Amino acid sequence: MKNILQWSPPEGLQGAEVTYTVRYFIYGQKKWLSKSECRNILRTYCNLSAETSDYEHQYYARVKAVWGTNCSKGAQTGRFYPFLETRIGPPEVALTTDKKSISIVLTAPEKWKKDPEESSISMQQIYSNLKYHVSIYNAKANKTWSQCVTNQMLVLSWLEPDTLYCVHVASFVPGPPRLAQPSEKQCVSTLKDPASALK
Amino acid sequence: DGVAVLPAPQNLSVQSTNMKHLLTWSPVVVPGEIIDYSVEYQGEYESLYMSHIWIPSSWCSPTENPECDITDDITATVLYNLRVRATLGSQTSAWSTLKHPFNRNSTILTPPGLEVSNDGFHLVIKLEDLGPQFEFLVAYWRREPGAKEHIKMVRNGGVPVLLETAEPGAAYCVKAQTFVKAIGRHSAFSQAECVKLQGEALSL
Amino acid sequence: GQEFQFGSCRVEGVVLQELWAAFRAVKDVVQAQDNITGVRLLRKEVLQNVSDAESCYLSQALLKFYLDTVFKNYHGKAAEFRILKSFSTLANNFIAITSRLRPSQENEMFSISESARRRFLLFQREFKQLDIEAALTKAFGEVDILLTWMEKFYQ
Repeated sequence: MKNILQWSPPEGLQGAEVTYTVRYFIYGQKKWLSKSECRNILRTYCNLSAETSDYEHQYYARVKAVWGTNCSKGAQTGRFYPFLETRIGPPEVALTTDKKSISIVLTAPEKWKKDPEESSISMQQIYSNLKYHVSIYNAKANKTWSQCVTNQMLVLSWLEPDTLYCVHVASFVPGPPRLAQPSEKQCVSTLKDPASALK
Repeated sequence: DGVAVLPAPQNLSVQSTNMKHLLTWSPVVVPGEIIDYSVEYQGEYESLYMSHIWIPSSWCSPTENPECDITDDITATVLYNLRVRATLGSQTSAWSTLKHPFNRNSTILTPPGLEVSNDGFHLVIKLEDLGPQFEFLVAYWRREPGAKEHIKMVRNGGVPVLLETAEPGAAYCVKAQTFVKAIGRHSAFSQAECVKLQGEALSL
Repeated sequence: GQEFQFGSCRVEGVVLQELWAAFRAVKDVVQAQDNITGVRLLRKEVLQNVSDAESCYLSQALLKFYLDTVFKNYHGKAAEFRILKSFSTLANNFIAITSRLRPSQENEMFSISESARRRFLLFQREFKQLDIEAALTKAFGEVDILLTWMEKFYQ
């Protein structure tokens, strides 16, 4: 739910001193609203996450460019629906290993918040059917398999000792097609097994 | 002015297996000429609310083959009317309409292909990729008298999925059936496939 | 498998992803035609906090309105914008749902059905205040709001 409005400079004015002013509109309401931090700015993006934080609403945004005494018509977005169009970030993945097992603890991604001090809202609270697609790669056997889980704790047991396993996890929400971002691949080795070393 | 001189295609029928729907008809033959065909469809909505409206098929308006994959056109579990006509230059045949409207819930569902393997003590299954409409119900059990059968739902085919962390040295058997949400039906179970895991019991 | 459970009304044989895919293919074209951005037909008062018991009545009323009024009169525009395929997918799946919805007619359900009817009338009144062409375009453009609400009952 981090919603960034982006745009390109007017044709032929790349590099010129153009300033931009952003306004946004809540579908079904009456007035265009402005955001002070995005008035007469030089950059070509504006963070509208706070203004679009009610994800059940739909929004429009408009940008006007000013160059010297010239002022452009407003360029307007389509109707933006955060609940459908936000990308679901990857969960946090914590791995701990043993001789023959790896424990995976997943923490659901958090909704964007303006103030770090604010209490966090988990994306799980917004999408109650949020699931995780866990992929496990056994580097020694060169085999991959996966698992679909809803809970946040997973133990892979009966693994081979002293073996590198790589894990990456993608969150996904069944329903309308939504963009999802898999987590970074994390690799850990299971510990050596003294018993098999003695044999 | 060339209207309805050309004979209309005959013997329209739909063969549907695993939610792939193929409309076929007998070719119209004019020696030395290539005949084009156009296929159109209307769902229950169109036939109820605006029966004059027909929609050109996604892939076969026109086509030269006497068949048409209408899978992408049949996107609801309701009755669909289908019609075909032939065209040769400026000559156009009459429309020929499928005698009985088609509903995708009549599709034939075949047991899915599956590959059972193991990665160490992990029983892994890879099911045939039949497309997004298909889910799979997998049954597996230890190959020993009185063994309990376990059931697992697998959402998509084509990727290896962990079925069970198995006991060392044990043999497991697996069978699967498809389930299609769109029509609320499932296939017969596949043949069971068994795999034996090496190794004797290891201390944890 | 997944099905709609609008309270006691259960509907199988509809894959919501197919409806989403159909609407997503036409969303930009259709919503771009709606210039009355200050009006939202499916407002929060219509769809928020709908009880399970109400949901069968409300979904039937809304879907039948879409079939009998919105789709029926928007068809020409759909042909003009070359979106007949998606239009047909949505309309035929709405037919598949409404043909399987059986809201209870028992007396003790009267107050619930009345509550659902008041919600629907809120929507319909807003619809009727607009010029018919604009209202049809707006209603069709709000199918994503309708599907989002229906998804809450898809289990």
